[in-house]
Amino acid sequence: MDTSSPSVFVNAELLRMHVGKKVRAVVHVTQSDGEITTGKSTDEHQLIVKGLPHVSLMSYVEVIGIAESDQSIRAETWTNFGNTFDAQSYNQVCQLANGEFKGLFL
Amino acid sequence: MFSSSQLDATSAFAGGGFSFTQQTQPTDSTPSPAKSRETQGLVPVTVKQISEASQSGDEKSNFVINGVDVTNVTVVGMVFEKVGRNTDVAFILDDGTGRMKCRRWMNENFDTIEMEEILEGMYVRVNGHLKSFQGAKQLVAFSVRPVTNFDEVTFHFIDCIHNHLQTKSQGEGLTPTQPQLVDTSLSTPMRNGLNGSQTAPSSQLSGQFSIDGLKSCDQLVLDYLQQPSSIGQEKGIHRDELSRQLKFPVEKIMESIRSLEEEGLIYSTIDEFHYKSTASG
Repeated sequence: MDTSSPSVFVNAELLRMHVGKKVRAVVHVTQSDGEITTGKSTDEHQLIVKGLPHVSLMSYVEVIGIAESDQSIRAETWTNFGNTFDAQSYNQVCQLANGEFKGLFL
Repeated sequence: MFSSSQLDATSAFAGGGFSFTQQTQPTDSTPSPAKSRETQGLVPVTVKQISEASQSGDEKSNFVINGVDVTNVTVVGMVFEKVGRNTDVAFILDDGTGRMKCRRWMNENFDTIEMEEILEGMYVRVNGHLKSFQGAKQLVAFSVRPVTNFDEVTFHFIDCIHNHLQTKSQGEGLTPTQPQLVDTSLSTPMRNGLNGSQTAPSSQLSGQFSIDGLKSCDQLVLDYLQQPSSIGQEKGIHRDELSRQLKFPVEKIMESIRSLEEEGLIYSTIDEFHYKSTASG
Protein backbone atom coordinates (compact mmCIF):
# COMPACT_ATOMS: atom_id res chain seq x y z
CA MET A 1 0.00 0.00 0.00
CA ASP A 2 1.65 3.17 -1.14
CA THR A 3 -0.09 6.50 -1.27
CA SER A 4 3.08 8.55 -1.41
CA SER A 5 2.83 9.70 -4.97
CA PRO A 6 -0.73 10.28 -6.04
CA SER A 7 -1.50 11.99 -9.30
CA VAL A 8 -3.67 15.04 -8.88
CA PHE A 9 -6.71 15.36 -11.11
CA VAL A 10 -6.21 18.61 -13.00
CA ASN A 11 -7.69 20.68 -15.75
CA ALA A 12 -5.96 23.77 -17.13
CA GLU A 13 -7.10 25.93 -14.26
CA LEU A 14 -5.91 23.52 -11.59
CA LEU A 15 -2.67 22.70 -13.35
CA ARG A 16 -1.04 25.94 -12.32
CA MET A 17 -1.52 25.11 -8.68
CA HIS A 18 0.41 21.88 -9.02
CA VAL A 19 3.41 22.79 -11.11
CA GLY A 20 6.24 20.39 -10.39
CA LYS A 21 3.94 17.70 -9.07
CA LYS A 22 2.55 14.53 -10.53
CA VAL A 23 -0.74 15.24 -12.21
CA ARG A 24 -3.27 13.54 -14.42
CA ALA A 25 -5.34 15.24 -17.07
CA VAL A 26 -7.44 14.36 -20.05
CA VAL A 27 -6.53 16.20 -23.22
CA HIS A 28 -8.54 16.38 -26.42
CA VAL A 29 -5.81 16.20 -29.04
CA THR A 30 -5.75 18.96 -31.65
CA GLN A 31 -2.17 18.67 -32.84
CA SER A 32 0.35 15.90 -32.62
CA ASP A 33 3.83 16.13 -34.10
CA GLY A 34 6.05 13.61 -32.42
CA GLU A 35 7.54 15.26 -29.40
CA ILE A 36 4.85 17.84 -28.66
CA THR A 37 1.15 17.17 -28.49
CA THR A 38 -1.29 20.04 -28.22
CA GLY A 39 -4.82 19.66 -27.05
CA LYS A 40 -7.74 21.09 -25.17
CA SER A 41 -8.09 20.47 -21.49
CA THR A 42 -11.42 19.41 -20.01
CA ASP A 43 -12.06 23.04 -19.17
CA GLU A 44 -11.44 24.16 -22.74
CA HIS A 45 -7.99 25.68 -22.45
CA GLN A 46 -4.93 24.76 -24.40
CA LEU A 47 -2.50 22.31 -22.88
CA ILE A 48 0.77 20.98 -24.15
CA VAL A 49 1.95 17.47 -23.51
CA LYS A 50 5.53 16.40 -24.03
CA GLY A 51 6.72 12.89 -24.56
CA LEU A 52 3.67 11.34 -26.20
CA PRO A 53 4.04 9.25 -29.30
CA HIS A 54 1.95 10.19 -32.27
CA VAL A 55 -1.72 10.10 -31.33
CA SER A 56 -4.68 10.50 -33.60
CA LEU A 57 -6.30 13.91 -33.67
CA MET A 58 -9.57 14.44 -31.88
CA SER A 59 -8.94 11.53 -29.57
CA TYR A 60 -8.97 11.94 -25.82
CA VAL A 61 -5.81 10.98 -24.05
CA GLU A 62 -5.35 10.73 -20.33
CA VAL A 63 -1.88 11.82 -19.44
CA ILE A 64 -0.18 11.15 -16.15
CA GLY A 65 3.09 12.92 -15.57
CA ILE A 66 4.86 15.88 -14.06
CA ALA A 67 3.45 19.36 -14.55
CA GLU A 68 6.31 21.32 -16.08
CA SER A 69 4.57 24.65 -16.26
CA ASP A 70 1.09 25.97 -15.84
CA GLN A 71 0.38 24.91 -19.38
CA SER A 72 2.38 21.78 -20.01
CA ILE A 73 2.81 18.27 -18.72
CA ARG A 74 5.65 15.87 -19.32
CA ALA A 75 4.01 12.50 -19.82
CA GLU A 76 5.08 9.37 -17.98
CA THR A 77 2.03 7.24 -18.64
CA TRP A 78 -0.80 7.77 -21.03
CA THR A 79 -3.98 6.03 -21.99
CA ASN A 80 -6.01 6.59 -25.09
CA PHE A 81 -9.54 7.21 -23.92
CA GLY A 82 -10.97 6.96 -27.41
CA ASN A 83 -12.92 9.45 -29.45
CA THR A 84 -15.96 9.68 -27.28
CA PHE A 85 -15.47 10.80 -23.74
CA ASP A 86 -17.46 12.90 -21.35
CA ALA A 87 -14.97 15.67 -20.73
CA GLN A 88 -17.42 17.72 -18.73
CA SER A 89 -17.91 15.04 -16.12
CA TYR A 90 -14.18 14.49 -15.87
CA ASN A 91 -13.80 18.22 -15.40
CA GLN A 92 -16.21 18.13 -12.50
CA VAL A 93 -14.31 15.26 -10.93
CA CYS A 94 -11.18 17.44 -11.16
CA GLN A 95 -12.94 20.17 -9.25
CA LEU A 96 -14.40 17.85 -6.63
CA ALA A 97 -11.18 15.93 -6.15
CA ASN A 98 -9.28 19.13 -5.45
CA GLY A 99 -11.99 20.75 -3.44
CA GLU A 100 -14.48 19.31 -1.07
CA PHE A 101 -13.42 15.68 -1.43
CA LYS A 102 -9.67 16.08 -1.51
CA GLY A 103 -9.38 13.64 1.36
CA LEU A 104 -10.54 10.77 -0.77
CA PHE A 105 -7.82 11.39 -3.32
CA LEU A 106 -4.72 13.03 -1.96
CA MET B 1 -45.95 12.49 20.38
CA PHE B 2 -42.29 12.34 19.78
CA SER B 3 -42.62 10.67 16.40
CA SER B 4 -44.66 13.54 15.01
CA SER B 5 -41.99 16.03 15.87
CA GLN B 6 -39.43 13.74 14.34
CA LEU B 7 -41.38 13.62 11.10
CA ASP B 8 -41.77 17.38 11.06
CA ALA B 9 -38.04 17.71 11.38
CA THR B 10 -37.51 15.37 8.48
CA SER B 11 -39.89 17.11 6.12
CA ALA B 12 -38.43 20.44 7.09
CA PHE B 13 -35.10 19.05 6.13
CA ALA B 14 -36.24 17.31 2.97
CA GLY B 15 -34.74 19.99 0.82
CA GLY B 16 -31.32 19.13 2.08
CA GLY B 17 -30.75 16.62 -0.65
CA PHE B 18 -30.24 13.50 1.43
CA SER B 19 -33.02 11.04 1.96
CA PHE B 20 -33.33 10.14 5.58
CA THR B 21 -36.24 7.82 4.88
CA GLN B 22 -34.57 4.74 6.30
CA GLN B 23 -33.38 6.46 9.39
CA THR B 24 -36.36 8.39 10.63
CA GLN B 25 -38.41 5.65 12.27
CA PRO B 26 -37.67 6.01 15.95
CA THR B 27 -37.69 2.29 16.63
CA ASP B 28 -36.37 1.10 19.90
CA SER B 29 -33.97 -1.36 18.42
CA THR B 30 -32.38 0.57 15.61
CA PRO B 31 -29.18 -1.24 14.77
CA SER B 32 -25.88 0.56 15.02
CA PRO B 33 -24.61 2.10 11.76
CA ALA B 34 -22.07 -0.63 11.11
CA LYS B 35 -24.50 -3.51 11.46
CA SER B 36 -27.24 -2.05 9.32
CA ARG B 37 -24.87 -1.85 6.35
CA GLU B 38 -23.73 -5.45 6.54
CA THR B 39 -25.34 -6.57 3.32
CA GLN B 40 -24.22 -3.62 1.30
CA GLY B 41 -22.56 -5.21 -1.69
CA LEU B 42 -19.60 -3.62 -3.42
CA VAL B 43 -18.47 -0.32 -2.04
CA PRO B 44 -16.72 1.98 -4.51
CA VAL B 45 -13.52 3.28 -2.95
CA THR B 46 -10.21 4.83 -3.85
CA VAL B 47 -6.95 3.24 -2.80
CA LYS B 48 -6.42 6.29 -0.60
CA GLN B 49 -9.62 5.47 1.29
CA ILE B 50 -8.52 1.87 1.70
CA SER B 51 -5.17 2.97 3.05
CA GLU B 52 -6.95 4.98 5.70
CA ALA B 53 -9.40 2.27 6.65
CA SER B 54 -9.06 0.93 10.14
CA GLN B 55 -9.83 -2.54 11.34
CA SER B 56 -12.34 -3.13 14.08
CA GLY B 57 -10.29 -5.82 15.74
CA ASP B 58 -7.48 -8.15 14.76
CA GLU B 59 -6.36 -9.12 11.31
CA LYS B 60 -9.42 -11.28 10.78
CA SER B 61 -11.93 -8.54 11.49
CA ASN B 62 -13.70 -6.21 9.12
CA PHE B 63 -12.33 -3.02 7.74
CA VAL B 64 -14.05 0.20 8.63
CA ILE B 65 -14.35 3.10 6.23
CA ASN B 66 -16.37 6.18 7.24
CA GLY B 67 -17.56 4.33 10.29
CA VAL B 68 -19.08 1.54 8.25
CA ASP B 69 -17.97 -2.07 7.95
CA VAL B 70 -16.63 -2.66 4.49
CA THR B 71 -15.59 -5.99 3.08
CA ASN B 72 -16.29 -6.03 -0.64
CA VAL B 73 -15.02 -3.15 -2.68
CA THR B 74 -14.78 -2.07 -6.26
CA VAL B 75 -11.76 -0.13 -7.47
CA VAL B 76 -10.78 1.19 -10.88
CA GLY B 77 -7.15 1.69 -11.76
CA MET B 78 -4.21 0.55 -13.82
CA VAL B 79 -2.50 -2.81 -13.55
CA PHE B 80 1.23 -2.93 -12.97
CA GLU B 81 3.77 -5.63 -12.17
CA LYS B 82 1.49 -8.49 -13.02
CA VAL B 83 3.01 -11.76 -11.85
CA GLY B 84 1.29 -14.97 -12.83
CA ARG B 85 1.77 -18.23 -11.01
CA ASN B 86 -0.05 -21.55 -11.06
CA THR B 87 -2.01 -20.82 -7.97
CA ASP B 88 -2.60 -17.12 -8.29
CA VAL B 89 -1.93 -13.92 -10.14
CA ALA B 90 -0.65 -10.93 -8.23
CA PHE B 91 -0.50 -7.33 -9.42
CA ILE B 92 -0.35 -3.78 -8.26
CA LEU B 93 -3.38 -1.61 -8.79
CA ASP B 94 -2.68 2.09 -9.24
CA ASP B 95 -5.73 4.32 -9.31
CA GLY B 96 -3.93 7.63 -9.12
CA THR B 97 -4.60 7.99 -5.40
CA GLY B 98 -2.28 5.18 -4.43
CA ARG B 99 -0.93 1.75 -5.30
CA MET B 100 -2.00 -1.45 -3.63
CA LYS B 101 -1.31 -5.16 -3.91
CA CYS B 102 -3.99 -7.32 -5.41
CA ARG B 103 -4.20 -11.06 -5.72
CA ARG B 104 -6.48 -13.26 -7.75
CA TRP B 105 -6.63 -16.93 -6.82
CA MET B 106 -6.83 -19.26 -9.78
CA ASN B 107 -9.69 -21.40 -8.55
CA GLU B 108 -11.40 -22.08 -11.82
CA ASN B 109 -10.72 -21.92 -15.51
CA PHE B 110 -12.64 -18.70 -15.68
CA ASP B 111 -10.14 -17.04 -13.40
CA THR B 112 -7.24 -17.99 -15.63
CA ILE B 113 -8.97 -16.91 -18.80
CA GLU B 114 -10.01 -13.59 -17.35
CA MET B 115 -6.55 -12.80 -16.04
CA GLU B 116 -4.85 -13.69 -19.30
CA GLU B 117 -6.59 -10.76 -20.92
CA ILE B 118 -5.19 -8.32 -18.44
CA LEU B 119 -2.08 -6.56 -19.64
CA GLU B 120 0.40 -4.26 -18.03
CA GLY B 121 -0.76 -0.67 -17.94
CA MET B 122 -4.37 -1.56 -18.64
CA TYR B 123 -7.23 0.19 -16.91
CA VAL B 124 -9.33 -2.37 -15.08
CA ARG B 125 -12.18 -2.59 -12.65
CA VAL B 126 -11.35 -4.85 -9.75
CA ASN B 127 -14.00 -6.25 -7.46
CA GLY B 128 -12.80 -8.05 -4.40
CA HIS B 129 -12.53 -8.07 -0.67
CA LEU B 130 -10.10 -6.39 1.62
CA LYS B 131 -7.71 -8.51 3.57
CA SER B 132 -4.95 -7.75 5.96
CA PHE B 133 -1.83 -9.84 5.61
CA GLN B 134 1.21 -9.33 7.81
CA GLY B 135 0.18 -5.78 8.49
CA ALA B 136 -0.35 -4.83 4.88
CA LYS B 137 -3.73 -4.32 3.28
CA GLN B 138 -4.42 -6.38 0.20
CA LEU B 139 -7.25 -6.78 -2.19
CA VAL B 140 -8.29 -10.35 -2.92
CA ALA B 141 -9.95 -10.00 -6.28
CA PHE B 142 -12.73 -12.18 -7.57
CA SER B 143 -13.32 -10.15 -10.70
CA VAL B 144 -10.92 -8.18 -12.87
CA ARG B 145 -12.41 -6.63 -15.97
CA PRO B 146 -10.72 -4.36 -18.52
CA VAL B 147 -12.27 -0.94 -18.90
CA THR B 148 -13.39 -0.33 -22.45
CA ASN B 149 -15.44 2.81 -22.11
CA PHE B 150 -13.35 5.31 -20.21
CA ASP B 151 -16.29 7.22 -18.86
CA GLU B 152 -16.23 4.33 -16.41
CA VAL B 153 -13.13 5.86 -14.87
CA THR B 154 -14.87 9.19 -14.35
CA PHE B 155 -17.95 7.39 -13.12
CA HIS B 156 -16.01 5.39 -10.55
CA PHE B 157 -14.59 8.46 -8.85
CA ILE B 158 -17.97 10.13 -8.82
CA ASP B 159 -19.35 6.90 -7.35
CA CYS B 160 -16.72 7.01 -4.59
CA ILE B 161 -17.67 10.57 -3.74
CA HIS B 162 -21.36 9.72 -3.82
CA ASN B 163 -20.94 6.72 -1.58
CA HIS B 164 -18.79 8.74 0.79
CA LEU B 165 -21.50 11.38 1.09
CA GLN B 166 -24.22 8.80 1.56
CA THR B 167 -22.37 7.02 4.32
CA LYS B 168 -21.64 10.24 6.13
CA SER B 169 -25.20 11.48 5.93
CA GLN B 170 -26.60 8.17 7.12
CA GLY B 171 -24.14 8.06 9.95
CA GLU B 172 -25.22 11.55 10.91
CA GLY B 173 -28.88 10.76 10.44
CA LEU B 174 -28.64 8.26 13.22
CA THR B 175 -27.15 10.69 15.67
CA PRO B 176 -29.74 12.20 17.94
CA THR B 177 -30.13 15.83 16.97
CA GLN B 178 -33.12 17.56 15.43
CA PRO B 179 -31.97 19.18 12.18
CA GLN B 180 -33.36 22.60 13.13
CA LEU B 181 -31.08 22.67 16.11
CA VAL B 182 -27.94 22.22 14.08
CA ASP B 183 -27.65 25.89 13.44
CA THR B 184 -28.18 26.94 17.01
CA SER B 185 -25.36 27.43 19.37
CA LEU B 186 -25.13 23.73 20.10
CA SER B 187 -22.47 23.90 17.42
CA THR B 188 -22.07 20.20 16.86
CA PRO B 189 -20.47 19.87 13.43
CA MET B 190 -23.23 17.81 11.83
CA ARG B 191 -24.30 19.13 8.47
CA ASN B 192 -20.95 20.78 8.03
CA GLY B 193 -19.19 17.51 8.35
CA LEU B 194 -18.72 16.92 4.66
CA ASN B 195 -15.09 17.84 4.71
CA GLY B 196 -13.99 14.75 6.44
CA SER B 197 -14.54 15.95 9.97
CA GLN B 198 -16.17 12.77 11.06
CA THR B 199 -16.59 13.99 14.60
CA ALA B 200 -18.72 12.45 17.25
CA PRO B 201 -21.51 14.65 18.51
CA SER B 202 -20.89 16.71 21.61
CA SER B 203 -20.02 14.88 24.78
CA GLN B 204 -23.50 14.96 26.27
CA LEU B 205 -24.76 12.99 23.33
CA SER B 206 -21.98 10.45 23.07
CA GLY B 207 -23.06 6.85 23.13
CA GLN B 208 -26.62 7.69 22.16
CA PHE B 209 -26.41 6.35 18.62
CA SER B 210 -28.74 3.48 19.16
CA ILE B 211 -31.91 5.45 19.73
CA ASP B 212 -32.88 7.66 16.91
CA GLY B 213 -33.34 11.24 18.04
CA LEU B 214 -34.89 10.49 21.39
CA LYS B 215 -32.18 11.78 23.61
CA SER B 216 -30.96 15.06 22.27
CA CYS B 217 -32.85 17.84 24.00
CA ASP B 218 -34.39 15.40 26.48
CA GLN B 219 -31.01 14.24 27.64
CA LEU B 220 -29.73 17.77 27.98
CA VAL B 221 -32.73 18.84 30.04
CA LEU B 222 -32.38 15.78 32.22
CA ASP B 223 -28.67 16.30 32.65
CA TYR B 224 -29.24 19.89 33.65
CA LEU B 225 -31.90 18.96 36.18
CA GLN B 226 -29.69 16.24 37.60
CA GLN B 227 -26.86 18.60 38.32
CA PRO B 228 -26.26 19.02 42.06
CA SER B 229 -27.04 22.72 41.80
CA SER B 230 -30.43 21.98 40.30
CA ILE B 231 -31.18 19.23 42.77
CA GLY B 232 -30.30 21.62 45.53
CA GLN B 233 -33.07 24.00 44.47
CA GLU B 234 -36.22 23.06 46.33
CA LYS B 235 -38.48 24.88 43.93
CA GLY B 236 -36.94 23.18 40.93
CA ILE B 237 -35.81 24.87 37.74
CA HIS B 238 -38.01 27.17 35.73
CA ARG B 239 -38.42 26.12 32.12
CA ASP B 240 -37.27 29.54 30.95
CA GLU B 241 -33.97 28.98 32.69
CA LEU B 242 -33.64 25.66 30.90
CA SER B 243 -34.37 27.39 27.63
CA ARG B 244 -31.79 30.07 28.31
CA GLN B 245 -29.06 27.79 29.59
CA LEU B 246 -29.45 25.03 27.05
CA LYS B 247 -30.21 27.48 24.27
CA PHE B 248 -33.28 25.70 22.99
CA PRO B 249 -36.57 27.38 22.16
CA VAL B 250 -39.13 27.08 24.93
CA GLU B 251 -41.40 24.86 22.85
CA LYS B 252 -38.57 22.37 22.47
CA ILE B 253 -37.90 22.45 26.20
CA MET B 254 -41.57 21.85 26.92
CA GLU B 255 -41.62 18.85 24.59
CA SER B 256 -38.66 17.36 26.37
CA ILE B 257 -40.18 18.13 29.74
CA ARG B 258 -43.38 16.39 28.74
CA SER B 259 -41.62 13.24 27.61
CA LEU B 260 -39.31 13.18 30.61
CA GLU B 261 -42.30 13.64 32.87
CA GLU B 262 -44.05 10.76 31.17
CA GLU B 263 -41.00 8.63 31.78
CA GLY B 264 -41.14 9.53 35.42
CA LEU B 265 -37.72 11.14 35.30
CA ILE B 266 -38.84 14.61 36.33
CA TYR B 267 -41.80 16.15 38.09
CA SER B 268 -43.33 19.58 38.37
CA THR B 269 -43.01 21.39 41.65
CA ILE B 270 -44.66 24.64 42.61
CA ASP B 271 -46.28 25.19 39.25
CA GLU B 272 -46.26 23.88 35.71
CA PHE B 273 -43.14 25.85 34.89
CA HIS B 274 -40.85 24.46 37.55
CA TYR B 275 -39.39 20.98 37.37
CA LYS B 276 -37.07 18.77 39.30
CA SER B 277 -35.40 15.49 38.59
CA THR B 278 -36.84 12.48 40.40
CA ALA B 279 -33.33 11.14 41.00
CA SER B 280 -31.86 12.18 44.28
CA GLY B 281 -28.50 12.98 42.73
